[in-house]
Amino acid sequence: MPAAVRPPRRHSLVWLQGLGCGAMVALVPAMALLLGVLLLPGVLAVLYDQQPGRPVARTVLLCGTAAAIAPAIALWGAGITVDACLGLLGDLRVTGTAWSAAAVGWILAELAPVVVLVVLDAITATRAARLRAERDKLAAEWGFEAEPQIDGNARE
Amino acid sequence: MATPPETLIAGRYTVSLAQPMPEAGGGLACFAAKDTHAVDAALIAIQVHRDAPARARPLQMLVQPIDGLLTPLAHGPAPGPRGETGYFVICPAPPGAPLAGRLRPWTEAALISLALRPIALVLEKLAAHNVTHRAIRLNNVFEGRRGQPLVLGAAWAAPPAIHQPVLFEPPYSAMCHPAGRGDGRTADDVYALGVLLLTLALGRMPLAGLDDAAILRRKLELGSHAALIGDERLPALISDLLRGMLAEDPEHRPAPALLLDPGVARSRRVAARPPRRAQRALPVGETAVWDARTLAYALGTDTDQGIAALRSGTAVQWLRRSLGDVPLATRVDELVRHRFTDTPGEDARYDTLMLMRTIAAIDPLAPLCWHGTALWPDGLGPLLVAASGDSTLAGKLEDMVAAEAAAGWGSLRPERCDLALLRLEGRQNRAFLATPGLAGGRTRLTYLLNPLLPCASPLLADRWVVRLSDVPAALEAAIGANPKAAPLDAHMAAFIAARGDSRIEAETNSLTANTQNPMNVPELRLLAELQVRYHPRPLPALAAWIAGAAAPMIALWSNRPRRRELTEQLKALAPAGQLLPMLALLEDPPGRSADAAGARLAAEELNRINGELAAIAAGAPERRSAATRLGQEIAAGAGLLALAVMLGLAVLG
Repeated sequence: MPAAVRPPRRHSLVWLQGLGCGAMVALVPAMALLLGVLLLPGVLAVLYDQQPGRPVARTVLLCGTAAAIAPAIALWGAGITVDACLGLLGDLRVTGTAWSAAAVGWILAELAPVVVLVVLDAITATRAARLRAERDKLAAEWGFEAEPQIDGNARE
Repeated sequence: MATPPETLIAGRYTVSLAQPMPEAGGGLACFAAKDTHAVDAALIAIQVHRDAPARARPLQMLVQPIDGLLTPLAHGPAPGPRGETGYFVICPAPPGAPLAGRLRPWTEAALISLALRPIALVLEKLAAHNVTHRAIRLNNVFEGRRGQPLVLGAAWAAPPAIHQPVLFEPPYSAMCHPAGRGDGRTADDVYALGVLLLTLALGRMPLAGLDDAAILRRKLELGSHAALIGDERLPALISDLLRGMLAEDPEHRPAPALLLDPGVARSRRVAARPPRRAQRALPVGETAVWDARTLAYALGTDTDQGIAALRSGTAVQWLRRSLGDVPLATRVDELVRHRFTDTPGEDARYDTLMLMRTIAAIDPLAPLCWHGTALWPDGLGPLLVAASGDSTLAGKLEDMVAAEAAAGWGSLRPERCDLALLRLEGRQNRAFLATPGLAGGRTRLTYLLNPLLPCASPLLADRWVVRLSDVPAALEAAIGANPKAAPLDAHMAAFIAARGDSRIEAETNSLTANTQNPMNVPELRLLAELQVRYHPRPLPALAAWIAGAAAPMIALWSNRPRRRELTEQLKALAPAGQLLPMLALLEDPPGRSADAAGARLAAEELNRINGELAAIAAGAPERRSAATRLGQEIAAGAGLLALAVMLGLAVLG
């Protein structure tokens, strides 16, 4: 029996991410709060997406992050205070936009493979139809059976 | 009876069917004939029976008239009495009625001057042409006015001796199947002449109260001279002559030239001893055998009992003890022992060979006896014709040819036959019999050995086709009358193969037609060859039939549009009636090569397409996986693009 293969050691950066998040909470709690709330769908997606590479969570995070840039800049301009943060978070347009962007990212991640599959199937079907037409033409011209494999010799 | 339209035989003779002459044909149907070049000539036309072909060799050799003989003048097909096509041999009309109906005792002087000398002279002339008559019998010898020499009738419209009564035949010919008596030798005609002289001397038929079997048995047991003459009183000269003429051994009979001088002929003494008689009879089947000749005959006619007598040793014992012929008994014993040492097993053919050899050893004068049938090897051809309606006899003859029995028989009596010729013919016959395909086998051998046998193809119905040159026109007429029939059936193929030469040997041996595919390229090639050689005129009906039945030949081409073109082109060519262009169209070697190459390329292309389609069908999961991966990348790319745009907007203010 072959020896059990030890799974490759994963060099997790979770502790580094935790350290960064902790530092951010300690140093700029308002910014951390703002980003935490605005990127909450992305964080949830990271937790729930079990696919390798977390493709759905990645798109949700990217879209959410894109929508969080403007509020983050606004908070920076307001001095990164908790009041400003709460003010921004209290603005439904800010939170709604960020969460809507995340939703759009999720929808995009779910729909894009389907659309691509439909396109690929359409291309394949077109090509198969063209091949069948060629095959039927050959069979009719040379008297071959279209379906079975031909041995390559002319029928005498 | 209405006279059918007259057809000229050999371009000059016509048959007058309205004037039958039943007594002039020696037993065959006979009619008056006319010579369009000499209206006053008295001629007869003897009708040939379809199953008993005319004799090719005498008809070919006897080109000059012979006095005292109804020499053949011409032969050929003409309408028969029932509207069918018949075949007739034209001869001069006999000078009077046959002897059969006017028997009376003849004087010695009349016998010598009016019968013996004229007929011996005729036989002498026939012998010079290496031809025998083999039909000297009462109804075929004619007498004009009294005092005129007798005239021999025609013997050309049927196989030799086929109609001879047993009485007029030497016993070794009489015991044969009537069709298998062969051309024989002039000595056989001398024997028949001897019986004729005896009959005329007596003024009645000798042995008149006996049937054929009894006559034959009596001849074998007593010898012909004793059997026929018995206690009859004959003129001394005639009696002396008959002793030689009726000798059992043909070598002992006087030659016709000798008979021209009866005084010399009577002085030629024959040292023929009467057969040795046994002390007690040996039962072989229903025959009680008393002498060696009868034993050979009994063994030849009752095969099963004969083989049993040999295998049990009773025949050898009888020869040694009862007959007292120790050398012969030893010889037969050796032959029986060889059968079991050289060819062990129970194969019936080995028993038949043993029996044939034993008969030849017991009686070297006897004919070839094969499985109950006696024949002379030169009678094989007509016998094969007679066997065409008798599958049992045909099977025996095939077996005999396959075993080259004639050569084996001849090797036991080499001094009485041309052994080299027998071996050569035996090998040839066996090769033809073994030729596979339509144009081989017994049918071909039958046509080969009977040059004037008409083709028996059902397609030709009652047409009489004996020459290869007549085949194209006959086929054209037959196909025109019956378009549903196939032109080349087994009989026609065998007939063409037998009548053809080596140049069409390859074509005839490659014929492949069958019921499903009656016309293939080899068949068309053969017909085209025949047309080119013998019938350059158009054959539109045959060509139209071929165009309609060309599907198997067109199917050799793979390209469907080309097939349609060929079909149309064949139909267009058919009305011209020339088969060679049709053959060229269908054979076309460069076209066939291109077609085959195209078919190969098409097959390869088809394989490629099928492979691609199979790959497409099998690629659905992979495609789905790729779509998922690609879609997710697109989605991520879109998110990244959005992020980049927002960052850009932020940077630009």
